[in-house]
Amino acid sequence: MAEPILDIQGLDSWYGRGRARRQVLRQVCLTVEPGQAVGLVGESGSGKTTLAKCVLGLVRDWQGQLLVNSPRPQMVFQDPHGALNPARTVGWFLEEALRAAGVGDRAARRARGEEMLGQVGLGREHYDRKPAQLSGGQRQRVSIAAALIQGSKLIVLDEPVSALDVTLQAQILRLLAQLRERYGLSYLLISHDLAVVRQLCGWVCVMYQGQIVEQGPAEQLYERPQHPYTKKLLAASLALE
Amino acid sequence: MGKRRNWYLTLGLVLTGLTVGFGALGLVWTPYSPTAPSAADRLAGPSLAHPFGCDHMGRDVLSRTLSGAGATLSIALAVLAIGFVVGVVIGALCGYYGGVVDALVMRVCDAVAAFPSVLLGLVVIAVIGPGKYNVILALGVLFIPSFARLTRGEFLQYRDRDFIRAARLMGVGGLRILFRHILPNAWPVLLSGLSIGFNNAVLAEASMSYLGIGVIPPDTSLGRMVSEAQSYFVTAPWLVLFPALVMILMILGAGLVGEGVRERMGEG
Repeated sequence: MAEPILDIQGLDSWYGRGRARRQVLRQVCLTVEPGQAVGLVGESGSGKTTLAKCVLGLVRDWQGQLLVNSPRPQMVFQDPHGALNPARTVGWFLEEALRAAGVGDRAARRARGEEMLGQVGLGREHYDRKPAQLSGGQRQRVSIAAALIQGSKLIVLDEPVSALDVTLQAQILRLLAQLRERYGLSYLLISHDLAVVRQLCGWVCVMYQGQIVEQGPAEQLYERPQHPYTKKLLAASLALE
Repeated sequence: MGKRRNWYLTLGLVLTGLTVGFGALGLVWTPYSPTAPSAADRLAGPSLAHPFGCDHMGRDVLSRTLSGAGATLSIALAVLAIGFVVGVVIGALCGYYGGVVDALVMRVCDAVAAFPSVLLGLVVIAVIGPGKYNVILALGVLFIPSFARLTRGEFLQYRDRDFIRAARLMGVGGLRILFRHILPNAWPVLLSGLSIGFNNAVLAEASMSYLGIGVIPPDTSLGRMVSEAQSYFVTAPWLVLFPALVMILMILGAGLVGEGVRERMGEG
């Protein structure tokens, strides 16, 4: 079996400093294989975002083992309005990722940017637009393109569709599934929406108070939850449907 | 798109264009020498030969207003350049990185801003001596805090936005994030700050010249002309009228441009 793209063993993490410092992750163990999509569910404050930030290198206050086996893991953010620079065009933003990755040739950057835009279902006509001229769904497509353009193999999706309406949600989830297949990507999907996780992920981890209380294949977890918190979470989401 | 005409911006740009053109012209050309006295024309009223009249030494007021506007304009712009560039760099670094240095720098800015700038300018001039370049230096330094504060607020607001996080994750360097990612977003606010700053710089130069420091006679500036004209206010009102009018239009123009930029930003 290939080496896992993300290997976390016994991870502890803290938030805040000095007296206000408190532990938000306790002995988290999680592996993500190449091409695997792992869902991270749990209520707000359960530590899922902190875990993602540790993976991305945005939180440094942690102990344990954390191995990332991909160039610069990227993130797709929840709010499509905040994830793109309002003063810059779509094309500039995509090319900026390439500039940062050391692609020196201008024509090559432009070609790659336009190609990537096509991969997420947008056309060349969107290249020179500013975010304000795009719809929410289009913006989310652009941030997905920006996350993929450097060739990262691990993408953190932080509630990627929760700010979109239901039809758009389905479109974006389908796009994410296609891209995973095409590029052999691994996803770490953070969501409180169990239906979204089920559509995209084969493996699901349930987080509660900074710990992963249960993890397993999606089918098994949804059909036969073991931990009382998982049962509660499932019951709550069924009640909503 | 049926966009409403931005009258503030249009009128402001016209006024600024006219007064800046006037001042720029004064730097290169005047109908008479602005410093050559003429006993025969002493306090002559406006005429065809001297449309703005002549002052108490028989010097052509139009020529003096032209060259005075040029001096005022160049001093104001130089002051702004110092205050703006240094202030934006300091504000950007403080706003984005924060920390102890930020807290210290901002307290210093508070302290400087707590004094009226003309008063502090007087103190600085008392130490380093009068003269055009010293006034530029003194006022320039005094203008740093307001720009630093303005810039810091903007950068603080953007530093934790998702698109900046995304740039960091892409591996974009700190300085590039500051000046290529955040600065373009801060431009509208900084531009309107720049117009207020320009007004303050014109007024500060005028106040300092009025108090007799700054431009050294026989060279002149708008503030110095108003100062010299005050004893002839009743007998020869054209001496104060024209330079004051140019100064007012200059300030009005920049103020309107600032208002126009703000309005456009509110729409966009």
